[in-house]
Amino acid sequence: MTLPFEDHFHLGPEELHRLLAVALASGGDFAEIFLEYRVYHFVLMEEDIIKETSESISLGLGVRVCQGEKTGYAFTNDLAAEKTRLAAQSAAAIVDAGAPGRGADLRDERSSLDVYPLLEPAHQTDLGTKIDIVREAYAACQGVDPAVKKVKAALQDQAQYLTIANSEGRLVSDVRPLVKLTCVAIAERGSVREYGFSGGGGRVGLEYFRNVLAPRAVGGDAAREALLLLEARDAPAGEMPVVLSPGHAGVLIHEAVGHLVEADFNRKKTSIFWNKMGERIGSGLVTIYDDPTIPGFRGSYAVDDEGTVPRKTPLVESGLLTGLLQDKLSARLMGQAETGHGRRQDYTDFPIPRMANTFIAPGEDDPEDIVRSVKKGLYADRFTGGQVEDSGKFTFSVSSGYLIEDGRLTAPVKQATLIGSNVDILRKIDRVGHDLAFGQQTGTCGKEGQDVPVTDGCPTVRISRMTVGGRE
Amino acid sequence: MSMPSDSASLRGLAERLVRFARSCGADEAEVGIGDGTEFSVDVRLGEIENLVQAGSRSLGIRVLKDGKTASATSSDLAGETLEDLVRGAVKRTGLAQADACAGLPDPALHRTDLADLDLYDPALAALDARTKIAVAREMERIALDDRRITNSYGASFSTHEGRSILANSNGFLGEYRKTYCSLSLGLQAGEPEAVVEDFWFSSGVHYADLESPETVARTAVARTVRHLHARKLETQRLPVVFEPLVTAGMLGFLFSCVSGMAVYQKATFLAGKLGEPIGNARVTVIDDGLLPRRLGTSPFDSEGVPTRRTVVVDGGILRNFLCNTYAARKLGLVTTGNADGPGVGPNNFYLAPGPHSAGDILRSCDRGLLVVRTLGHGLNPVNGDISQGVFGLFIEKGEIAYPVSEVTISGNLGDVLRNVEMVGRDLEFRGNVSGPTVKVAEMQVAGY
Repeated sequence: MTLPFEDHFHLGPEELHRLLAVALASGGDFAEIFLEYRVYHFVLMEEDIIKETSESISLGLGVRVCQGEKTGYAFTNDLAAEKTRLAAQSAAAIVDAGAPGRGADLRDERSSLDVYPLLEPAHQTDLGTKIDIVREAYAACQGVDPAVKKVKAALQDQAQYLTIANSEGRLVSDVRPLVKLTCVAIAERGSVREYGFSGGGGRVGLEYFRNVLAPRAVGGDAAREALLLLEARDAPAGEMPVVLSPGHAGVLIHEAVGHLVEADFNRKKTSIFWNKMGERIGSGLVTIYDDPTIPGFRGSYAVDDEGTVPRKTPLVESGLLTGLLQDKLSARLMGQAETGHGRRQDYTDFPIPRMANTFIAPGEDDPEDIVRSVKKGLYADRFTGGQVEDSGKFTFSVSSGYLIEDGRLTAPVKQATLIGSNVDILRKIDRVGHDLAFGQQTGTCGKEGQDVPVTDGCPTVRISRMTVGGRE
Repeated sequence: MSMPSDSASLRGLAERLVRFARSCGADEAEVGIGDGTEFSVDVRLGEIENLVQAGSRSLGIRVLKDGKTASATSSDLAGETLEDLVRGAVKRTGLAQADACAGLPDPALHRTDLADLDLYDPALAALDARTKIAVAREMERIALDDRRITNSYGASFSTHEGRSILANSNGFLGEYRKTYCSLSLGLQAGEPEAVVEDFWFSSGVHYADLESPETVARTAVARTVRHLHARKLETQRLPVVFEPLVTAGMLGFLFSCVSGMAVYQKATFLAGKLGEPIGNARVTVIDDGLLPRRLGTSPFDSEGVPTRRTVVVDGGILRNFLCNTYAARKLGLVTTGNADGPGVGPNNFYLAPGPHSAGDILRSCDRGLLVVRTLGHGLNPVNGDISQGVFGLFIEKGEIAYPVSEVTISGNLGDVLRNVEMVGRDLEFRGNVSGPTVKVAEMQVAGY
C-alpha cells in the first residue's frame, strides 16, 4: 500500500527510518523529519480587472535533533538522497559526540480529529470559480457608495501536505486546506481618505463562500468600514473605561495572555507568568482557552507540526493561571503533558509553542447592559493587531470604534492604539458578556520570524480603565 | 531527480525556462532564481540553544500574453515541476484581463556594465561555525557579567550567503552574490514583578562592518537597564525626540506612503502631492541602491532595472515616488529601480543627517519625551495617522530624568514632517531603512 505522502516525497518509511538513524548517529534525545509539500494559489482583482493569478509550490524537508535544551536543525528543498543525508548530518552536529541512538520502528498513525469540513477543496477547483468569488466581493464593495474610490479583492488558497516521522516511532501525515478571501476599500470625500478591510475563510472548501460567508458580504463590510471612518473623529487620549466588541477584540487576549503562556517563555523564565502557575492573574470573570480542534477554523489542525494530536487547553480558569501551550521540547524539559501546540511556518523552521484559536469563555452579562454601564468611554470595535513583550506590556490597535456617552454608542472614532500591562488589565476586566464570537478568519500571528494562521475570540468585555492613545 | 547547483547551470536554467515560456506562447517571460546558504546559532545562558544550517533555493516566473499576467514560484527546481508551472502560468494568462501597464521593463534600461558594489565578503564566507559560536557566546557572557542583567533571550550570530540570478525575454541576464551577517542579543533586568527588556544588534554585508561582540553586549545592557523603574506619564502634548531606530521605524512608514504601488491605489495620504511641500526644509529623504556594501544595495532590482539614487523628499518638497515598472507606467513616471517581487521595496531609504549631535538635541528640550522603542502597529498610510505604544525617557531641563512606559504617542505623519525641529548627524545604516536622531516640536502623549 502506498502511504499518502509517498506520492509527493518519494520517500518511504524505510528511508525515513534510515534518515532518523543518520540524525541520531552521534546520540541525542530525539530526532524528527518534517516533510512538506504545499501548493498555493492567488487571484487578485484591482483597478476593475482580474490583474494577476499566481501559483506557488513549496517542497522541502527539515531535520531536527534535540539533546537536552539544544536543538540542531537543517533543511533542504532538494530531496535527493545525498542532500537529505547531508541535512540529517548537519542537524546532528548539535550533539556532543556520543553513542549512536536508535529510533523506534515507525508506526503509521492517523489523527482521530476531523477538523477540515471540506466539500470542494479549493486547490482542486478550477480558477474560474475562484475568479467569480473575487469578482462578487469586488463588485459588492464598489457598489455600496460612490465615495468608494478603490477596491482590492483577493482570494488565496493552499493545501499543505505534511509527513512527520520521529525517533519515538511516530509517523503521521496530514493535508491541511486553507482559504482566505480579503477585500480592501479606500473611500474618499473631499480631502479625507480612509481604509476599510474585511475578509474570511478558514480550513474549509469553497462551498464556505456559498453556505456561510457570501463574498458580497465581505465586500460590503469593507466598504462600510471605510465609509464609517470618513465620518469618524479622532479617538480620545488618556485613561478611560473600554468596552471590547465581541469577536475581533480577541486580539487583546492573544497579546495580553496568549503569548505569555507559550511554554518556551515560561521554561526560560522570561515570561512574567513563569512563577505564577495556579495563582490569580486576573479577575474571577476571566476564563481563557486555546482550542486547535474547532472544525474549519484557520488556527485548527488535526495534528500539530510535531505530529501531536492537539487538545482544547485551558489557560486561565476563573482568573487563575492553569495551563501553558506546550510543544514537545518544553513539555519534556518541564515534565508536563504535551498539548499539541508545536507549530512552524514551514519546513525551513523548527517548531515552537504557538497559539491556535484563543478565546475568552462567555460570561453572564448582557452585552447591552455592559455598554449601558459606561458613562464615558471607548467602544473598541475593529482591530488591526497588537504586540506584547515578555514583561506583560502590550498594545493592540483599534481601527474603528465608537465613543460611549451616558451608556450609548455615539460618534464613530478613528484608529487608536491601546496600551497596558497584562496583570493590571486582566484584573480590570469587570464585566464579561454571554455573546462569545470569533473574529474574521484572516488572522496571522508572528513569533521569532515565523507566521502561522490563528483565530481569536471573545464576548463583549468591559475593562474598567485602560490607556487609549487617541489625539483628543 | 537532480538539480543544478553551480552558477553557470542556474543561469542556464533561467535562460532555458524563459525560452520554454516563449515556446509555450508567452509574449514576455522573466525568471528569477535565488540560491543561498544560511547559518545561525543561538546561545543562551552560555549554552548553544539552536544551531541551524541549510541551503535553499527558490525560483520565480512571470509571463505575459496579450497584456495579461500570470506568475508562479517554486522551491522545487526539478525540471518537470518547473515546466508544468510555466505551462500552467501561460494558460492562466487567459483568465486574467489585459492591462496596458503590465509587462517587462523597457529593454533600454538594462545595463551590462554594472557597478561593483562590494556586496560579497569572502572573509564571511570563510568564517567557520566554531568561530561564530564563540563570538555569540562571548557577546552573551559580557552582558551576563553585568550584575543588573537577570535573564537572557539569547545571543545570536546569523550569516547568509546568496546568489541572485535574473533572466528575461528581452535578453537580460544578470547575476550578483551578496553576503549578510548579524549579531543580536536580548536581555532582561529588574525584579520579577517589574521586569524590563531590550536588545541590540549589528548587521552588515561584510563581517568587518559588524560592531564588536563587546559593543553589542554593552549597548544591549545599557539599553535594557535604562528602562528600570519606569513611570507612566500624564496625558499631555510634548516635544518628542526619536532615537535613530525609532526614526527608522517612521521612515519605514514614510516609505509605505511614497511607494508607487500605494500611490496608484490611493492607499497613501501623499498621493497627488508630487512637487508639493510635505515637510519642512530640514527633511530630505533619499533612496539609494548604489551605496557600496550596504544592506539595501543591489546592482539591479527584481526586474533587472539598475538601481540608482533617488531624492524622494528634497528640503521638504516631495520630488519622487518609488516605483517598479508597473507603478511607473500607471503614474506616468519612470521606474526608480525599486521593484521587489510583485511590489515595491526600499533600497537604502534614509533621512539625510542634519547638523546636530544627539546630545545637543536632548539639551534643547526643557521638557520632552525621548522615544527609544515602539510597541505595536498603529501606522495608517491611507491617512498618515500615527498611534503607537512607546517606551521612552523623560527629558527635563535638557537631561534624562526617568524612564517612561505604558504611554502612546499619536499624531499624523504629515504634521510630524512639518514639525521636525532638529535633525541629528548620527545617521547609521543598520538596515535598509535608516535615520538619525530627530526632534519633533510636539505630539500627543497619552498616559493617565
